[in-house]
Amino acid sequence: MIWRSQHSDRGVFKEKLVSFIIVLMVVVNPLSFAQNESPPDFQSEILPIFKNHCHQCHNSEISQAGLSLETVNDVLKGGNSGPVIIQNKPMESQLFTLINSGTMPMGQSQLSQKQIDLIRRWIKMGDSSQVATSEREIMASILGAKCLPCHGRRRQEAGLDLRTREGLLKGGKSGPAIISGNPEKSLLLKRIVAQEMPPPKLQEEFSVRGLSSSELEKLRLWIAKGAPSDNETPLKLPVKDPLVSDQDRQFWSFQPPKRSSLPKIKGMNRVRNPVDIFLLSQLEKKGLSFSPEADRLTLMRRIYFNLVGLPPTPEEVERFLKNDSPKAYEQLVDQLLESTFYGERWARYWLDAVGYADSEGGVSSDTIRPHAFRYRDYVIRSLNSDKPYDQFLLEQIAGDELFDYRASTTYTQRQLDQLVATGFLRMGPDSTYGTEQNYLPERLDVVATQVEIFSSTVMGLTLACARCHDHKYDPLPQRDYYRLSSIFQTAYDPFDWLSPNVDCIGVGANCNESNTRLLPVTLPNEEKIIKAYNFPIQMKIDQLENQVQEQAQPLREKLIEEKLTLLPKTIQKDLKAAKTIDPKKRTKIQQYLLNKFSSSLQATDIELKQRFDVFLKKAEDIEKQIKDQKKKLKSKPMIRAMFDMGGQPTPTRILGRGEYTNPKSLVHPGVPSVLKNGVSDYKIQDSNFNTATSGRRLALAKWLIQPRHALTSRVMVNRIWQNHFGRGLVATPGNFGVTGERPSHPKLLDWLAQEFVENGWSIKKLHRIIVTSTAYRQKSHISQKIQELDPSNLLVSRFPLRRLDADALRDSILKIAGRLDLTAFGPADELEVKLDGEVVPKPTQRGYRRSIYLMQRRSKPISMLEAFDAPLLVPNCLKRPHSIVSSQALQLKNSDLVNESSRHMAGRIIDEIGDNLEKQVERVYLLTLTRSPSSEERTSALVVLKKLILEWKKHLQSEIPAQPISSRASWLGLSSFCHTYLNSGEFLYVN
Amino acid sequence: MKSLYKDSSLSRKSSLLIRRGFFSRVGDGLHGAALVYLLSNDLFSMDLVQSGGSGKIADLKSRKPHLEPKAKSIIQLFMNGGPSQVDLLDPKPALEKYAGQSPSRDLISEIRAVREAGGLMPSPFKFSKHGESGIEISEIMPHLASQADDITVIRSMFTPHMAHESSLFTMHSGRMFPGRPSLGAWIVYGLGSENQDLPAYVVLDDPKGLPINDIQNWQAGYLPGVYQGTRVRSTGSPLLNLNPKEKWPNPVAKLSESLLRQLDQSHLKKHPGEAELEARISGYELAARMQLTASDALDVSKESAATKEMYGLNQEQTASYGKRCLMARRLVERGVRLVQVYIEGQIWDNHTSITKGLNYACGKTDQPAAALLVDLKQRGLLDDTLVVWGGEFGRQPIAQKPVTGEVGRDHGPSGFSVWLAGGGIKRGFVYGATDEIGYRAVENPVSVHDFHATILHLLGLDHRKLIYQREGRSERLTDEFPARVVSEIIS
Repeated sequence: MIWRSQHSDRGVFKEKLVSFIIVLMVVVNPLSFAQNESPPDFQSEILPIFKNHCHQCHNSEISQAGLSLETVNDVLKGGNSGPVIIQNKPMESQLFTLINSGTMPMGQSQLSQKQIDLIRRWIKMGDSSQVATSEREIMASILGAKCLPCHGRRRQEAGLDLRTREGLLKGGKSGPAIISGNPEKSLLLKRIVAQEMPPPKLQEEFSVRGLSSSELEKLRLWIAKGAPSDNETPLKLPVKDPLVSDQDRQFWSFQPPKRSSLPKIKGMNRVRNPVDIFLLSQLEKKGLSFSPEADRLTLMRRIYFNLVGLPPTPEEVERFLKNDSPKAYEQLVDQLLESTFYGERWARYWLDAVGYADSEGGVSSDTIRPHAFRYRDYVIRSLNSDKPYDQFLLEQIAGDELFDYRASTTYTQRQLDQLVATGFLRMGPDSTYGTEQNYLPERLDVVATQVEIFSSTVMGLTLACARCHDHKYDPLPQRDYYRLSSIFQTAYDPFDWLSPNVDCIGVGANCNESNTRLLPVTLPNEEKIIKAYNFPIQMKIDQLENQVQEQAQPLREKLIEEKLTLLPKTIQKDLKAAKTIDPKKRTKIQQYLLNKFSSSLQATDIELKQRFDVFLKKAEDIEKQIKDQKKKLKSKPMIRAMFDMGGQPTPTRILGRGEYTNPKSLVHPGVPSVLKNGVSDYKIQDSNFNTATSGRRLALAKWLIQPRHALTSRVMVNRIWQNHFGRGLVATPGNFGVTGERPSHPKLLDWLAQEFVENGWSIKKLHRIIVTSTAYRQKSHISQKIQELDPSNLLVSRFPLRRLDADALRDSILKIAGRLDLTAFGPADELEVKLDGEVVPKPTQRGYRRSIYLMQRRSKPISMLEAFDAPLLVPNCLKRPHSIVSSQALQLKNSDLVNESSRHMAGRIIDEIGDNLEKQVERVYLLTLTRSPSSEERTSALVVLKKLILEWKKHLQSEIPAQPISSRASWLGLSSFCHTYLNSGEFLYVN
Repeated sequence: MKSLYKDSSLSRKSSLLIRRGFFSRVGDGLHGAALVYLLSNDLFSMDLVQSGGSGKIADLKSRKPHLEPKAKSIIQLFMNGGPSQVDLLDPKPALEKYAGQSPSRDLISEIRAVREAGGLMPSPFKFSKHGESGIEISEIMPHLASQADDITVIRSMFTPHMAHESSLFTMHSGRMFPGRPSLGAWIVYGLGSENQDLPAYVVLDDPKGLPINDIQNWQAGYLPGVYQGTRVRSTGSPLLNLNPKEKWPNPVAKLSESLLRQLDQSHLKKHPGEAELEARISGYELAARMQLTASDALDVSKESAATKEMYGLNQEQTASYGKRCLMARRLVERGVRLVQVYIEGQIWDNHTSITKGLNYACGKTDQPAAALLVDLKQRGLLDDTLVVWGGEFGRQPIAQKPVTGEVGRDHGPSGFSVWLAGGGIKRGFVYGATDEIGYRAVENPVSVHDFHATILHLLGLDHRKLIYQREGRSERLTDEFPARVVSEIIS
């Protein structure tokens, strides 16, 4: 099989090729009109043969060998081995030779001689009208791609609806759009031929193109043929499904998690909870056990970075060391899980997985998403409040379908959260309505991206592979991809597309709020605050705008005078008279004159600028001020939401090779057929709301959060485990399929998954189980024995040594330096690109905020975070890569961030504990390494610190001899000292 | 450099320590002995393959190509914006004949700004034959014309999309959207670098601003980050954070370095068998070396007055682009695998005032680009350096009539021209042709995938064999697109 289309850039070239071939056939094959015998008709004579004998395997859904024989176009397109028909040459046509020789139909009775003859004659005589396209192709890929913005669901210019064949026949105000059998008399065709439709002036604005000659020809032939209907119905899944069998459902990850009894082990003395039992059972088989327990401070540093992404303060260290309760560690865990920093740390993993960004990304100018932050805040809040994971998913997938938001006028915080949560499905790159990026293929890409993010993040499936062809390894047929895609079609309808943002380009009147995928829904209080904030700025803007007009008024009159003098004198006179007279008393001629010469009676600002340099200068000056003021305005609070658009969406079709030019069967919304065990079917229920919603996504969410769903709990548990131990129990978090890794500890995975569900899907309880286990408390030392028997730590024979990730590293440096602004939530902090290309956040009044609050743009990765493997999110990231590159060393050594932080850190230390150098050394160790120096370390560090101060002193003396420099040298010396510790491996790695 | 990679003094066991999925990306030219051993250890590679990981280890050591290479390095003069083929390299006298006539339905159904579409428009510039080869080149590229016998012009390039963004992505990565590795990333993934103290893939962007798609043009996509293009500035500090803003006094820097070494050594001692820690330490060593090598490589003041003049460094118009062309030569001389030179904003994007616009663009680039050819040739570098000149698409043979301003031409993806020289390319040769009006490539059309396959081939890489394993899939630059090496242009 050839799996090409995921890789074909929307097959534009291929599309051209195909249409080229078709044109070739039309043109090159005028044959046989002169013959007496009429050629067999495809629809009435050939198709029934195929239907009875071939469609079982060669339909548009199964497409055995890439070949479908459902429509004449399918036949002409051929299969994986190329064309099956050579026009006029039956003996050279594979289709005929295979039938003739009896090789096909496979496993069935042969065709009768009469049928074979019919096919031979059909190929031989090749009536050119055979290339007439089907209703499916005309509607889905020609009219659908070019006419629906004005003659579709929301807009029906001239009363014409071109979504269906019936709509064509019925027509609009000017009568039927087509006359069956008579293309020349068909209005639709006439207007297209005259190049009036689609209107050249509007094509760019509405992202459509005119019909090419081959498309026009197809349309003409289809109408000439009587505009035959395909009488299609959506695909029904066969009872005995040839594509997904019960055998396929036996694969481990497609079966519900099983509760198995705890294995018997020897080392019960090391067991704190069942996690340990499962792990020990496999370790003991290798003759291993857990490593010894890490010391208290190591453990403290570990759990701090792991749960909150920041190091403990010296005071916290002291408090912990003083707590001699046997449960001191457990208490610390509880305390950290209750800290608001916890949500900021763990939201990062979820945001990576959903591809969160503060800009549209994709092929665009990367427009800012000013409202995305609400979703980020929602995730942080949800994690902090330990929102049950099933609820968390339900809100994110179908928050808009949980209550009748359209019928509501006021909203509770909870309801707002539910709407904000749907931002989950709005985070992938979406460059539609960017320059030249709003055509059908780009829209389909947005939907595909969300399907990819959804299926990899929530279900651990590589369903994206099935966009263009049946999945190569997993039982995920292409039809299941489009069935799932169809669930989103009521919100993401490629044929009735909304702009992702208010800043849309090139769409003229269509670029307004009602055409965006934003909901202007907020808490009344929030709106009030913003109004109050904006009020004085808006006043200022109005004032400035008035100033421009004050400047303009006298000049405008002058210019109009000048313009009038260019007209013939008599007209000037008449015009003036017409202008001054009471509008009600104007004669028809006067009205006509005013209308005709309207441009001479007006002077736009642009004209004024062109005519008067003085005005140009003044106006531009004020306009700049207006622009600056406008930037200060807080945007109207909106929710970047996913919402059901109500009504009937355009039906979803399987797209051959993922291309809209290759439409195949219609499908119903549904979920992957392989996921059947342990769950009841996907079922849409009536919402009984006042305003319509399809309930498609609500049904998806409910299907997904069933307790025995094979993937939902496992995938999440695996993600949590991965972020505690650096590696998941399934090492491929986004691929639980055949090519993914098998779980290293299947029983443990299932036990945790069930425990998770039984604990009410509580994420915090899951953390608690994992981090209080003995496994988590091990040392990270690699002994000789471990080196031999568990080198890759597959068995968790130690705690892995891990580098701080990008966010934790940056946040910690700032925290230690005392310049971390702990303000939570709200719009993302802006970035600036420095002259040398470094991308850095702009400071707040109190320093810098945590990395999660910085603006995240795919086109402008923050240099520091990028160097340390913050992902680009194309489209999402389930596991961050891990690299060691020299840019990391350059960042830590030379960046302003680390240099400035070192100085802040030194200043802070001096302020807090004075100038006792020994105490300073002690403090640096505590702050950066969460421990005291050994006596040896203390001695040698002290020597270096003293030398550093001395060298700075010497340097300062040589530079500015007159100044009191002693304290400055102490500060700079300590700064250099701190800088070195921030660069050290021990700071950078957590053990 | 070589001996380092052969060091096998370390025990096999230490490699076993590396977790599966250990660095999905590993350093640019890291030399730690432990790491080096790890990198060459078969068992480790196998481990990665099994884990569905990257399969190959990511580093920049020089690798053997698949076949005998014609070129060792490549300089890509990227003319972002879309240079107009019918005004520069692809003469179309027929446009005179049809001047003002309306374009066909099919042409209209493929263009962008239908509203502004005018009639067919002949070039305002004259073409004449040059050199022994007699290649026809426009009068506004006189310097290139003088080198006509050293270049091959392809007049039949085509690309699927007509927007800059999509086409730039296509030209760089073969795909219309971001997130895919660029050609350059694939090249250094396949070949590594001859110089471990400099980035292998250098991008010399215009100080006046980045091209459309910004830094995404040279991204590594799913390939390890070490293969990403490194932006090198032609003014000021060449690499990001190569030096601190405020330098410490020397003795302070030395003290800090030795303290850091001491801290890291004792940390390493506490964690025996953690090779990653050692790799990190060598990252610091490389960073220190780069400060010297990079500054030297980019210092054009060392060039002779004649050379500087040839590149146009003495004229305002050509100074900026000339400097970068000269830097490019200095870099490939030092073993850098790939240098991409970009041009400010959209100087080739002549929607309006095309006569003025092309005079400006050629005035800025023609002399330096030709000088680069001459210079490489006189130093004997042209034989194994491939020079590629071209943009992301060409322009329409019809006029674009903007609401205000003079006429220009809109984007034309269906047929455009590029030129290549050196590194195995035929001298004084023209390949392919567009139709009568210069709209669509009709004779020997060359797709972007063909173009990529050909460049890889010249560098000794087989596009079908240059594979990266990802999530169970074998990824390639040319993917499943039909792609062929255009052997006709190879000498």
